[in-house]
Amino acid sequence: MKKTETRTDNARSEAAPATPSLFSLLRPYAGIIALLVLLTVLSNGLNLLVPQLIKHAIDTYTLGSFALLRLIEEFAAVAVFIFAFTYGQNVVQVYASERVARDLRNRVSAKISVQPYEYIDRVGPSKLLTNLTSDVDAVKTFVSQAIAALISSGFLIIGASVLLLLLNWRLGLAVLAVVPVIAGTFYYVLGHVRKLFTRSQEAIDWLNAVINESILGSSLIRLLNSQHYEYQKFLAANAEAKDIGMSILRLFSSLIPVITLCTNLATLVILTLGGHFVINGAMTLGDFTAFNSYLAILIFPILIIGFMSNVIAQASASYARIGRVLDAPDERKTGGLKADLRGDIEVRDVTVRFGEKVALKDVSFAVPAGQRTAIIGPTAAGKTQLLYLLTGLLAPESGTVLYDGRDINEYDKQDLHRQVGFVFQDSVMFNLSLRENIAFSKTAKDADIELAIRTSELGDFIDTLPDGLDTVVSERGTSLSGGQKQRIMLARALALNPRVLLLDDFTARVDAQTEKKILANVAKNYPGITLVSVTQKIASVEAYDQILLLMEGELLARGTHEELMAASPEYVQIFESQKSTNQYELQA
Amino acid sequence: MNYKLKIADQASEREKGVLRTALRRLVPLMRGEGRAVAVSLAAILVTAASTLAAPILIARAVDRYIAGGDFRGVLVISGILLLIYVVGTVSNYVQVRTMGAVGRRVLFNLRNSIFNKLNSLPVAFFNQNKAGDLISRINNDTDKLNQFFAQALMQFLSNFILIAGAGVFLLAISARLGAAALVPAAVVLALTQLLSPWVRRKSLASLRALGGMSGEIQESLNNFKVIVAFNRLDYFRDKFREANEANYAASVSAGVASNTFTPLYTLASTLAQLIVLAYGIYLISHGAFTIGLLIGFLLYVTNFYAPLRQLAAIWSSLQLALAGLDRISEVLALESDMRTVAEAAAPRAGDGSILAFEGVTFRYEDSGKEVLHGVSFALQKGKTYALVGPTGGGKTTTASLMARLFDPTSGTVYLEGRDIRSYEPAARARKIGFILQEPFLFTGTVRDNILYGNEEYKGRTSEEVVGLLESANLHTLLSRFSEGLDTPVKSSGDGISLGQKQIIAFMRAALRRPDILILDEATANIDTVTEQLLEDILEKLPPETTRIIIAHRLNTIENADEIFFVNGGSVTQAGDMEHAVDLLLHGHRQS
Repeated sequence: MKKTETRTDNARSEAAPATPSLFSLLRPYAGIIALLVLLTVLSNGLNLLVPQLIKHAIDTYTLGSFALLRLIEEFAAVAVFIFAFTYGQNVVQVYASERVARDLRNRVSAKISVQPYEYIDRVGPSKLLTNLTSDVDAVKTFVSQAIAALISSGFLIIGASVLLLLLNWRLGLAVLAVVPVIAGTFYYVLGHVRKLFTRSQEAIDWLNAVINESILGSSLIRLLNSQHYEYQKFLAANAEAKDIGMSILRLFSSLIPVITLCTNLATLVILTLGGHFVINGAMTLGDFTAFNSYLAILIFPILIIGFMSNVIAQASASYARIGRVLDAPDERKTGGLKADLRGDIEVRDVTVRFGEKVALKDVSFAVPAGQRTAIIGPTAAGKTQLLYLLTGLLAPESGTVLYDGRDINEYDKQDLHRQVGFVFQDSVMFNLSLRENIAFSKTAKDADIELAIRTSELGDFIDTLPDGLDTVVSERGTSLSGGQKQRIMLARALALNPRVLLLDDFTARVDAQTEKKILANVAKNYPGITLVSVTQKIASVEAYDQILLLMEGELLARGTHEELMAASPEYVQIFESQKSTNQYELQA
Repeated sequence: MNYKLKIADQASEREKGVLRTALRRLVPLMRGEGRAVAVSLAAILVTAASTLAAPILIARAVDRYIAGGDFRGVLVISGILLLIYVVGTVSNYVQVRTMGAVGRRVLFNLRNSIFNKLNSLPVAFFNQNKAGDLISRINNDTDKLNQFFAQALMQFLSNFILIAGAGVFLLAISARLGAAALVPAAVVLALTQLLSPWVRRKSLASLRALGGMSGEIQESLNNFKVIVAFNRLDYFRDKFREANEANYAASVSAGVASNTFTPLYTLASTLAQLIVLAYGIYLISHGAFTIGLLIGFLLYVTNFYAPLRQLAAIWSSLQLALAGLDRISEVLALESDMRTVAEAAAPRAGDGSILAFEGVTFRYEDSGKEVLHGVSFALQKGKTYALVGPTGGGKTTTASLMARLFDPTSGTVYLEGRDIRSYEPAARARKIGFILQEPFLFTGTVRDNILYGNEEYKGRTSEEVVGLLESANLHTLLSRFSEGLDTPVKSSGDGISLGQKQIIAFMRAALRRPDILILDEATANIDTVTEQLLEDILEKLPPETTRIIIAHRLNTIENADEIFFVNGGSVTQAGDMEHAVDLLLHGHRQS
């Protein structure tokens, strides 16, 4: 993991040279891009024909050889072709850019989908969301606007410059003198603006973070009536965004007038110097007029290139960010071992670290197949991490996890996940029907789902719903109670018909009666299942084959309830803290 | 009240005049900007005048002085031109600067008002809408407006003036020829009017598809661990691919739609030149026009159509901005139905209760399921109450009504004998503390979160905060965090355990010393030793504090003065512990 960090850092510092790939990104689209360029050149070229046609018409009229019908025919033909080419160019440009964007999104999502969970947790969902939306959009803008514009502008600039110099090299040079001034201004302004754009993106990220939290924390904010405070946070971010926007504006508002002034000065040069040449007889009046029209042709593409360089810079920065996702190393290839598990689990000298913090330290234990093991310990003892380890959601820094005596890494991960059911502590609901939420794994069969629902005691609840299993669960499951969500999560895990069941604080939100029934159901309906249960209640696990006491990442004690009562003062303390209610639990 | 925002394509607005709609929508946003708008309008006029004047002067210089060999005259004209150019440059700068600033400020205010609106809406709104779509509305849609204000608006205005100026020149030089030259423009404008609603519909559909895709990504990424553990990476891929394809289709048709304008305007421009040329030559041959005038006329035709074409290019960005504004307006138009009502003339008959329900019925808007039916009870000051019952029985709903997260469908909740709806939110928040079932933390430190929303202790130093915690018996809980008050926390991610989040939520609520403290399974994931500590803290709260505890674990409710059994739409007194346990075990189950 350390390695990846340094790599991303490198990528950041070399962002500019590391992305010639923005153009290489387009290689698969060479055909459509070529068509786009062709159409752009054709429509622009035909546009240059129009002044020629007009000039020709006026010339022939003055010469007396004017043919109205031919003029109309030619002109109309040119008009229709320009329309066709421009329309074609616009359509192709939309298709090309949207296709590049769609494919890029698919690539990023395909990449994300093969990443381990810890990658998502580390990078953060909101960042990946930005990669998939606004970063891809920047690349899309590059394709739709920059490519064709750059190429056709290049043609026009070179063509116009050559023609200017051919007409009159002295005047041509004088006029072309404004080009470096314009280029310099662009270089200066855009150089500064780029930094501001980065800061502006940061400000937008900040804004998004505030909005995000105020949506996700909406209940709390209303309870504490802290809308005003949230508004202050938002205002600070928004003001920052506004200030940066104003700074960008200050730079841009000087850019455009400076360029206009340069162009106008070139016109002035043509008028005075050109006028001088005409008066001297060194130039004809026709040349003089031509100079003016070519100046207009010359300046416009320079402006386009200037603005497009900005689009390219933004797209490069975005593509560099996307590249970091695409370049993330693939998950270590796990072995291809596919075997029906017996259910023996062994954890050997496992250490897990989050940055500086040790989450688990040299933990070792074994869970024999078909037995029940409980994990008990105070808040933040590393219990959840231990379960993540057993599912392979988390990789240990050192040590090994073994299933049936073989390293977890030797197994085909998908095959393993099919046999290990995990009920997460926090409820995770999808905006799908109840049936799809429960039969979330594709391998779940109808009979398995049926059994899972019965075991989780969900039947009565589902019967009260008008749409039954087809009821759609809202995002974040806001329409369900905490206990219902927990039981749906259990049914989801059981629908796999797993050999190993991992429960993370399952009983916390389910009432005692239901809990007891459910655990009895599990024992009856899934004989021989290996059960590992993180819990707070000793009473419900007293009869388990093994209880692990975890504190601050260390395995403090291990044994049956009786053994721990005799050997572990910490365990006794926890037991004492629950004793007063044991009579009720026992009754239940 | 239904707060559900439109996500699917349901566009039904009948557009009469797009420009009028645009003005009606955009003008109110610029309230208070009158001066700046006037200044930039004046600047635009000056710039346009200088742009239009220059060709005439050059034409004059060529006709009179260059053709006549008078270089001094050329220099005089050049001097005048230089002056005009400098004035034009200054006014151009002023125009870009002031109008751009107006755009930034408008965007700033718009973002503020949408955020304020979001904050004023009740919890039900957030339950009924996808977070991803809301975020997309505030970010992507305001950004579309931003692009419009930052770039397009100014070009829009200055092009408009240039067009008007050129149009006047055209008609002034020759009314007949001018009218003929304007025919293609008229046709194309009519077409624009016709096409605009279609383009806007497509843009709106595209923005919706983008919002839908963001929502999909947001959901999948937040639930990634389940997707991994259940081998459903294909779910993520398929769902995403589907949303991505939908977005692609919508974007392509929106792109094609908004790109029809530019070719049309180019065609109009070419045709206008043809008309002028043909008709002009016809007029010349009848002696009604001159060649020189025709050349000048053609220049003004270009001056008329070039900005019109630019306008067409901007037009689609206007459509996009309006579509974004539509989606934002949808949020802005929502009104919270949870206003503070006037205090009833006659307060409830004084039974001295601190909190009471009277005939409260509640159903959720989105599911339509009735959760509570005609519930009445009264709670006394300083006592401890427990709400027990099977999952899904309505405990959390009952507690949410107590804190006015929702209003009852019928019936009244009384706080100290007064309709709870008559309290100002600030007063209500001071009286009621509520530890939610799903704790939420803001990104920051433990300290930030403990003091969150606490007006009283705002800006205290760390030492002072530790002192405050000590006096509230909360300091021992700090040891559960590796770096104490300065332990960093994130709103998302698994860096901090659920139990730790619950401890922070507990400290946050207890430190506020509310009159009523509601704990909704607030300690469910905390180990029992720490929980005992929390119980001690609850014990030591001021005696007048009323505690309302929802829990499954019986030890947390054994000290309750009274136990309520919540199930099947009713809230009944369960008497003592034994009876409550009995009800739980053998009572009729609804869920």
